[in-house]
Amino acid sequence: MNPFCEIAVEEAVRLKEKKIVSEIIAVSCGPQQCQETIRTALAMGADRGIHVDVSAKDAETLGPFQVSKVLAALAKKENVNLVLLGKQAIDDDCNQTGQMTAALLDWPQATFASEVKVEGEKLIVIREVDGGLETISVKLPAVVTADLRLNEPRYATLPNIMKAKKKKVDQVKPSDLGVDITSRVHILSVEDPPQRQAGVKVETVEDLVSKLKESGRI
Amino acid sequence: MLPLLRSLLRAHGGRVLYSAARHSSATYLQSFILHNTEVVTDHLTPEIRLLLLTPRCKYWHLRPEHWPYGDPYWAIYWPGGQALGRYFLDNPDVVRCRRIMDLGSGCGAVSIAAKMGGASYVVANDIDPVAAAAFALNCQLNGMDDLPFDPENIIGDDAGLWDVIALGDMFYDEQLADSLHRWLRRCMEQHGTTVLIGDPGRGHFLGHPIQKQLQKVAEYSLPESTKQENYGLTTSAVWRYQPGCS
Ligand SMILES: Cc1cc2nc3c(=O)[nH]c(=O)nc-3n(C[C@H](O)[C@H](O)[C@H](O)COP(=O)(O)OP(=O)(O)OC[C@H]3O[C@@H](n4cnc5c(N)ncnc54)[C@H](O)[C@@H]3O)c2cc1C
Ligand SMILES: C[S@@+](CC[C@H](N)C(=O)[O-])C[C@H]1O[C@@H](n2cnc3c(N)ncnc32)[C@H](O)[C@@H]1O
Repeated sequence: MNPFCEIAVEEAVRLKEKKIVSEIIAVSCGPQQCQETIRTALAMGADRGIHVDVSAKDAETLGPFQVSKVLAALAKKENVNLVLLGKQAIDDDCNQTGQMTAALLDWPQATFASEVKVEGEKLIVIREVDGGLETISVKLPAVVTADLRLNEPRYATLPNIMKAKKKKVDQVKPSDLGVDITSRVHILSVEDPPQRQAGVKVETVEDLVSKLKESGRI
Repeated sequence: MLPLLRSLLRAHGGRVLYSAARHSSATYLQSFILHNTEVVTDHLTPEIRLLLLTPRCKYWHLRPEHWPYGDPYWAIYWPGGQALGRYFLDNPDVVRCRRIMDLGSGCGAVSIAAKMGGASYVVANDIDPVAAAAFALNCQLNGMDDLPFDPENIIGDDAGLWDVIALGDMFYDEQLADSLHRWLRRCMEQHGTTVLIGDPGRGHFLGHPIQKQLQKVAEYSLPESTKQENYGLTTSAVWRYQPGCS
């Protein structure tokens, strides 16, 4: 699972443990492997899953706009009060899905959250911005995207993994939700970063210092 | 022990079979359990000592595929079972001098609690042969002679023998929940059996049509260690089944 999505799942589970949230639905769009990601979320404490089935070929061109249309449709269908997502995916670094989901739903958004508190029908969210921390209040229903320091996700342990196997995962197709997933973006080129050379493993701080001296870095 | 062995000899999901003769003899199972669990009392019924899987056991941290048997449901004292156990110990009138069936007994704590509460006859029932071995060990650990254990699937059978059917966390699976619902209704209608269900509010349970016919009779906060085994859950409750009261 994408690290920021993991943080979003963790936050949802914490809200459930505080009895603020009654049910957590873990959603993933993509090919069959998504089921594994959903199982991980279930083992972390989500209640049920929805796998939005997109073939491996279509998944290659699945962008933030298509995913946000799916999420917005599901949010309405399932009548949820809160959509929690990671602030960005670490493969395409788009940082758009949360924002577009909020726009499609016409709900308020709180992005880059590093703290989330629920006060009645409002969310108080602390956001990490360039100049420091910003505190905002948004009305529910809302979309929140998780930043790195929101929480530390828990590990799935055997008892939780075992229990997760029995939780329900429904499968739907984007077309079932009335969503067209045709991409409108043409990627002109993708270049790999320069190959990194293999490093060396050091045992102690002393080793590290002498290695750095040897290589003339210090 | 005979019924246990008989059920062991039946094909069991393939996983136990790879070395069935040795790895599923009752003695082997008991020694496996003793080696891979530890005695635990930090649950809702600390007066009952149970051999369970904890973070100090190696399998807790290993990927589930390393576990040599079917899912170790008996190695966990489920929140639903804990609520029932606490309820029996605190309200012995519910079980005193009555005949109790603990369906899906797992570690067997609900049976042990019913016996401690003064039940006249208790049978633990579980289709997992390893649960039979765990139950025997847990009875001994609590200074009880082995209580009767039934390894057959009795869902659908005539339940005339029982005053109370207790079900700890048996609504974790949709199909199982449906067949239980039909059968429990019949037990109530034909014999007036008391049906008590322990459940922490799992999705399958809260969303199941049986909800409309349940009355919550007790609710407990879960201890910290139980929360760690059940991410997202913090309480567990006992419900009495009353068809017709919808
Ligand atoms: C998806 C993601 C996005 C992030 N984005 C941001 C961001 O935008 N802004 C921000 O401020 N932070 C961001 N962070 C956090 C940031 O990357 C980390 O906080 C930071 O990298 C921590 O630095 P570190 O040196 O402590 O550890 P690391 O960067 O984890 O460095 C550890 C390094 O030491 C090496 N190493 C370990 N043991 C040995 C050994 N025995 N011998 C030799 N080498 C060894 C490892 O191979 C590794 O390369 C992000 C983190 C993630 C996961
Ligand atoms: C979730 S565990 C609950 C264990 C125990 N009641 C507790 O609360 O700790 C479910 C148990 O039911 C058993 N089981 C599943 N299907 C069964 C059936 N048809 N008849 C009897 N037991 C069954 C499993 O083997 C497992 O031990």
